[in-house]
Amino acid sequence: MPTPEILDPKKHKDLRVITERGAQYGENIHLSPVVADELRKLVLEYAVFLAKDEDTGRFGLYALLGFEPKENLYLTRSSWNASYVPLHIRRQPFLTGTTHKTKNDTQEGPSALVAIDVDSPRVNRESGERLFEEDGSQTSFLREMIRTLSQMMSGQASTQVFIDQLVEQDLIEPAKLDIQFTERERRQYSGLYTIKEERLSALPEATLARWSEKGYLQASYLICFSLGHIQRLVDQVNRDDS
Amino acid sequence: MVKPITSVVIVGGGTAGWITAGTLAARVSTQGHSPTITLIESPNVPTVGVGEGTWPTMRSTLRKMGIRETDFIRRCHASFKQGAKFARWATGKDDDFYYHPLVQPHQFSQLNLAPYWQAERQQASFSQAVCPQEALCEHGLAPKLITTPEFEAVANYAYHLDAGAFSEFLKEHCTQNLGVRHLQADVSGVESADNGDIKAVLTGQEGPVEGDLFIDCTGFKSLLLGGHFQVPFRSCKDVLFIDRAIAAHVPYPEEQSPIASHTISTAQDAGWIWDIGLSSRRGVGHVYSSAHTSEEQAYEQLKQYLASSVNDPEALKFRTIDIEPGHRERFWVNNCLAIGLSAGFLEPLEASALVLVEISAAMLAEQFPDNRETMDVVARRFNRTFQYRWDRIIDFLKLHYSLSQRTDSDFWLDNRHPDTIPESLKELTELWRYHPPWHHDFEHAVEVFPAASYQYVLYGMGFETRPTRAHHIDENRERALEAFRANQRAIEQLTQALPSTRTLINKIHEFGLQRV
Repeated sequence: MPTPEILDPKKHKDLRVITERGAQYGENIHLSPVVADELRKLVLEYAVFLAKDEDTGRFGLYALLGFEPKENLYLTRSSWNASYVPLHIRRQPFLTGTTHKTKNDTQEGPSALVAIDVDSPRVNRESGERLFEEDGSQTSFLREMIRTLSQMMSGQASTQVFIDQLVEQDLIEPAKLDIQFTERERRQYSGLYTIKEERLSALPEATLARWSEKGYLQASYLICFSLGHIQRLVDQVNRDDS
Repeated sequence: MVKPITSVVIVGGGTAGWITAGTLAARVSTQGHSPTITLIESPNVPTVGVGEGTWPTMRSTLRKMGIRETDFIRRCHASFKQGAKFARWATGKDDDFYYHPLVQPHQFSQLNLAPYWQAERQQASFSQAVCPQEALCEHGLAPKLITTPEFEAVANYAYHLDAGAFSEFLKEHCTQNLGVRHLQADVSGVESADNGDIKAVLTGQEGPVEGDLFIDCTGFKSLLLGGHFQVPFRSCKDVLFIDRAIAAHVPYPEEQSPIASHTISTAQDAGWIWDIGLSSRRGVGHVYSSAHTSEEQAYEQLKQYLASSVNDPEALKFRTIDIEPGHRERFWVNNCLAIGLSAGFLEPLEASALVLVEISAAMLAEQFPDNRETMDVVARRFNRTFQYRWDRIIDFLKLHYSLSQRTDSDFWLDNRHPDTIPESLKELTELWRYHPPWHHDFEHAVEVFPAASYQYVLYGMGFETRPTRAHHIDENRERALEAFRANQRAIEQLTQALPSTRTLINKIHEFGLQRV
């Protein structure tokens, strides 16, 4: 569990954040949450699915990074083998403080909403990027991280609206992944969902127009299109295993 | 000239009426030809509201009507039922209980575990040895996860529901989404056609309502089948003695009290007490034989039962219901079919009331007569099928009593008197002394109670099957032992993974279940 602390120029004056990628920073995950605004970039390199939150059963949007828990095929030691890295990965170890607000949080301004997970292995006092300048102002690193974080937060809200629309139109279906690896056992994966592509074009005209205007239609097709990357991941598994 | 069936009139708007309307409307509309469906409901007659326990069939019944399980669970205060726990039925002692779960024994389609369990019966109860559901119930766990899609199960389940809310919910769905016409009127009489068919039912508020097929869902009154057509009632009180019920709605001690995900049936001196957990309250009642005890005594026992979970049982509102156990000799006469209490009623020991409504409505929808001429053929088939089904249900209910070893009251002794046991049940019980129940013991492809149910009750009640030829050396023994081990593993996994029933119900109210 993260231990978030609302960012404070005094308290966190000496903190530094390591920015390299790696499994030791919790990036050995096989699914990364993503937001709909990222789809245009994601679909060039990732397969994007819907999956259920274990606690609520509600759908969220995820990029598939591997086929087993803790398997991230995009990660080789400290490098991420894709030109685009999802916001969720890049914004670590920062998170928003709105849901974890403490009582003595009286600070004003946008930084009051930003928290840092002080238990993250990225956070230390020796190496990495500083958060605050000597005069207490934000470093350009922190400003960039806050931008990334706020992009993710606003993206999450609109993604939820988009997913609610998919649910309402009954457009989500289980993705049947039945994969024959060269070296590993044949596996069937459940728990991933995609969009009923053939039903998209069958939506009522008024809905289609609204969906097109809101970008839901484009987002839906991008998700369908992204599934082609599964073969790339399978090929990589086969190469790595052999 | 062939007269097509273009209009169906359902008289009565309890759960029977609305389930029939919904099943018919959803089914018939997908088949191309669409008779109009009208349901006439009296604004003055309250529904009986029996049948708060269902069978797993209710899941497909609701799904086929196009209902969302999330809506159903929220609106009908529904919770999950994973079978029944029978307490004090076998010996009457405090620690005497067994389960009739809804999950079949491991590998039940291929392997009969009963003989292998018999050899090791001291190790675990039958249901505990062959399926994981007893453990789930004892731990108060739900049969699925919040991520399990609507109507799908991790462990097979049915529902406990609020019958009054269920009727309202179905009414809304049928009238708003399925095009069922709803008339509020009191039926005062029948206008007959020359061939004896019902031409129209006469109502004060709406005048005569004509139809090609009439469904009698008028409850115990059986207005059309019993009243108009005078089809005789066949009582089975000589087999099943129970004829009175005292029922109460019982609040939980706290809003977040645990919900039992099984029906609890606790045997008494002259009957038994049901205990059904909804999300909002419990439904508890005592059904008893008025020939074996007095109403005061029955009240007293019910209050005693409630004393452990309710501060002041006296303050609850009790109501009594007379039960005439049995059914009509025929269910479909001319152009009139009775579904629900109008066809018959038995004590709610195995929740047979709603399932009979569901399978009656399903058979009507599946074999819906094209025209008046074919209706007689369908009617004859319906009558044969349901006479068989009522007989099997009566046998199965009687089995619970006939196997008891209780000697503490005349009720239990009389229940074992050979004159009170149907020949068909005697025959099977004799067979099962040497052969464990198996699929071929039952004649019909679709039995109301499958062989698994008989196994659970027989071995739960302490019945012994002693084949003269020993089974324990045969080649399937290893498979059987592996099945027992697999079940133990399933119990460990599922008790880790599943949430409590209350937790899941809360989550369904907050987040809903997904369709997929």
